[in-house]
Amino acid sequence: MAPSPVRDQTSRNSTAGGGLTPGMIRLLLMALPVGVFLMALILPGYMFETDQKPTEIGLGPAAWPRAMLLALAIFSALWIAQDIWVLGRAGRTPLLRIPKEDGHYHFGKALVGLVMIVLYGWLLSVLGFAISTAVFIATWCVFGGLRKISVVLPVSVIGTIALLWLFMGLALMPLPRGVGIFGEFSIWLLRAVGIY
Amino acid sequence: MSALELLGGGFLAAFELWAFLTIVTGLLIGVVAGALPGISFVNAMAMALPFTYVMEPTQSMLFLGGIYVGGVFGGSISAILINVPGTPASLPATWDGYPMTKRGEAKRALTIAVTASATGGLVSALMLAFLSAPFASFALKFSQPEFFAATVLGLVSVIAIAKDQPVITMVSLLLGIVVGTVGVDPLYGQARFSFGIPEMESGIRFVVVMIGLFAIGEVVDLLATNRDLRPKKADGKAVGARLKDILYVKGAILRGTGIGCMIGLIPGAGATPGAVIAYGIEKQVSKRGDKFGTGIEEGLAAPEAAKNATTGAAMVPLLTLGIPGSAATAIMLAAMMLQGVNPGPLLFIMDPSMVYTIFAAMIIANVLMIGAGIGVAQMFSTLMRTPPAILAAFIIVLSVIGAYGVRNNIFDVYVCLAFGVLGWGMKRVGFPSAPLVLGVILGPLAERYFLTSLANSRQDWTVFFTRPISATILCLALVFILWSLAPGLKTLFLRRRS
Amino acid sequence: MKSIIGKVTLCATALLGTMAFAGSAAAQDYPNRPVELIVTFGPGGGADLMGRTMAQLMEESLGVAIPVSNVGGASGNAGLTQLRTNPADGYTIGTLISLTVASWASGLGDNKPEDFRVISVVQSSPSFLFVPTSGPHQTAEALFDFAKANPGAITVATSGYGTQDDVTLKLLSNAGIQMENVPFQAPAERYASPIGGHTSAIYEEPGDVAQFIAAGQLAPVVVFAKERHSEFPDVPTSAELGIDISGLDNYRSIAVAAGTSDEIVAKLEAAVATATASDEWKAFCAKTYTCITPVTGDAAQAMVSDFRDLIAAQLAN
Repeated sequence: MAPSPVRDQTSRNSTAGGGLTPGMIRLLLMALPVGVFLMALILPGYMFETDQKPTEIGLGPAAWPRAMLLALAIFSALWIAQDIWVLGRAGRTPLLRIPKEDGHYHFGKALVGLVMIVLYGWLLSVLGFAISTAVFIATWCVFGGLRKISVVLPVSVIGTIALLWLFMGLALMPLPRGVGIFGEFSIWLLRAVGIY
Repeated sequence: MSALELLGGGFLAAFELWAFLTIVTGLLIGVVAGALPGISFVNAMAMALPFTYVMEPTQSMLFLGGIYVGGVFGGSISAILINVPGTPASLPATWDGYPMTKRGEAKRALTIAVTASATGGLVSALMLAFLSAPFASFALKFSQPEFFAATVLGLVSVIAIAKDQPVITMVSLLLGIVVGTVGVDPLYGQARFSFGIPEMESGIRFVVVMIGLFAIGEVVDLLATNRDLRPKKADGKAVGARLKDILYVKGAILRGTGIGCMIGLIPGAGATPGAVIAYGIEKQVSKRGDKFGTGIEEGLAAPEAAKNATTGAAMVPLLTLGIPGSAATAIMLAAMMLQGVNPGPLLFIMDPSMVYTIFAAMIIANVLMIGAGIGVAQMFSTLMRTPPAILAAFIIVLSVIGAYGVRNNIFDVYVCLAFGVLGWGMKRVGFPSAPLVLGVILGPLAERYFLTSLANSRQDWTVFFTRPISATILCLALVFILWSLAPGLKTLFLRRRS
Repeated sequence: MKSIIGKVTLCATALLGTMAFAGSAAAQDYPNRPVELIVTFGPGGGADLMGRTMAQLMEESLGVAIPVSNVGGASGNAGLTQLRTNPADGYTIGTLISLTVASWASGLGDNKPEDFRVISVVQSSPSFLFVPTSGPHQTAEALFDFAKANPGAITVATSGYGTQDDVTLKLLSNAGIQMENVPFQAPAERYASPIGGHTSAIYEEPGDVAQFIAAGQLAPVVVFAKERHSEFPDVPTSAELGIDISGLDNYRSIAVAAGTSDEIVAKLEAAVATATASDEWKAFCAKTYTCITPVTGDAAQAMVSDFRDLIAAQLAN
């Protein structure tokens, strides 16, 4: 049995990393444990919002998160220490290793994709599930390289209606309908496809 | 009447046309729902609950039982084929199953997975049928300290299975535990880390985190690498699984089954810790343990067997004591109570035929699962031929629906997307995300078991060590961690010397 | 191409017209689409069973589907926030139960009694102390005497600190009966603990442990109410034992967002009344020991706000 040729975690040369130089990547990777360490130190102060008065019985609601954050601080400090220790030695890399991708990784495309997904989630509550999903599927397909309108349109419309029918009709999930005029449109649409 | 006679009657009842069709329908719904990224089997069971209103009590249990058995396996189909676990319990299937797919051995991986799952489920269903009474009284001996110890064992396994540096794994795990502390605490009813946002008081559910970290990160990578999901043509020798392959992993399947049966009895734990602990132990036991994570058959078989072995075991406390240990069995309880049936010791006396029909159905469902699993997997492989862009768009939409469906709450969608962005970033820098998810699952359990144990022992810390079962499990955890860290410590020591 | 655009425009106009018509639909033709019922806890609990049974029964009189959606989290506050923020048009109704009201008193959530209009309180039950039948103390006197002699030796499984359960135990403690509060977040584990012999007693309403009472595993020893429970005539009230604890009953109600029009509230109230008068409902509430004459209108509203104030006052002591 040959070992997996694809993802070799122990590989020393990292190819994926956008336009960053190896030095910058190393710095970035070292910043990560520092960030976690600082977060673990700061968070206990933000645990409670209101001035509740916890019962005096037992350890209280703060004990467990405090202990876990303390442990987190200790382990991220260990991580930093190990990174600093290897920094001085040539030929050693930080603990984190950027995974090697097979083929080229388009960072720009990935970022646009992430923005699209986040936008979709945000629009969901405004436009309602139906409109935002149809728009999202169409946009994603076009961005993903499917340019034929005769494919994209049916896929997004029929797909959305199928999902509506399956989840709102059959499984009775109250998926968001949107606000204002969009909410009224959703109700109209749901009536039109026979769900309401 | 003896158990065997009753079970015979149960089989006759379960093989009646409508009953049988109900089992098959439930099973198929479960496998498909489990395999859809984002939609977990708990989700599917909750959605199916209204359909049981019109059914007979027994029939509704056959239906939900089918979904349960099928759904616990179904999650592995998407885990093996596209590296997105359909349910948290299928997380380990991505570690050794997906690498096999990358090698062009998807079919073999799926066959091993379904055989292991069915075996685990079958053994566990048989245990339910014949040993539920002794196991129920055994389960009652377990209390909060034992649950805590078992959760610690789960947490320890996470470190043991790590491919990455233990320090980084610990950081990831602890981050997950911290995420799990968000929201109302289990004992005092006080909101933590809500940052003034009322929705944060509801806390962050592990399914939502998992969907975000795995599904969204994977889909964005798909877009950025122009990768093709079409199954690779197998390279010559390794096409499907032969009997030889199954026999080769029989040890792993047996160990996984044993672990799953034990873990399934523990309320709250369920399939995911079972699978993770089985993977961790298999990694230590197997001769090829150091190669785990690169597509090793044992690494796939053991957790698969374990997660389905929890299904029958989890039904032992439900049917014998009327105590549901997990979200899935709680839905079954709801279905029974809505029909006016109260599970518990009386059910065995008042309506043994119903109980034994459920037992028979669990056995049948696990046998049928081999066919259903392979059939649905075949369907999904065919689906992979659609253009990746369309597939990716639907995975995102399903993930969003799945995150929303956990509690019908839009806020969970935002949380899921936030973890999606985070997961993508973690993947890019090589920070492991699996320990984080397991931390979100196990952390809240550990906390409440720990605090309730203390409350029940006048805040005496020694309770975990003075109770025999809990002390044994904790010792096991200690041995486990030393055992798994031994190679690392040895090389560190040798390096120092040289 | 132009004709297509023309058709699209025409469709859009027609569509907008229809929507405007749909939008103006007022309370007269309520309900003309499914009414969503938010159960503020996950599937499988007392609130869920109540919500689902009620939804089934209300469907008949309202004539539309009533899909149930479980919105659990933050002691029921997540679902209530959703109920409060959805349009107050009667198309979202929800369950409001005493546990959530008590959580407001301990500072959880941003919901207030004024945010909701209680349609009807449909279930209520006093709580009991139950002991395992295999345990050493089979009567309240024996249990309390032992607790007096050995403060803290008796452990009671409860749902948490800062709840009605906690308040009751505090009141008992003030009377010299000091018992240890052992909170179990998961109901299933709470029920299992006295049966498995891990705690000495459990504080619960009888409906939630009905199957264990029927199986002879748990036995009620004392009820925290003004009068004895008709289903358990042999169980003494706490007042009979010298400690008057009452008014902490577990109740469950159906509510809508404040600001829902009176007409819609009246329609819902009628539907709930029809439901609670049905035989199915009577069988359901008898099985869970929660039958009451439904409380509606201002009385129901007052019940919620008074309960909140009562718990807040007790917790402040």
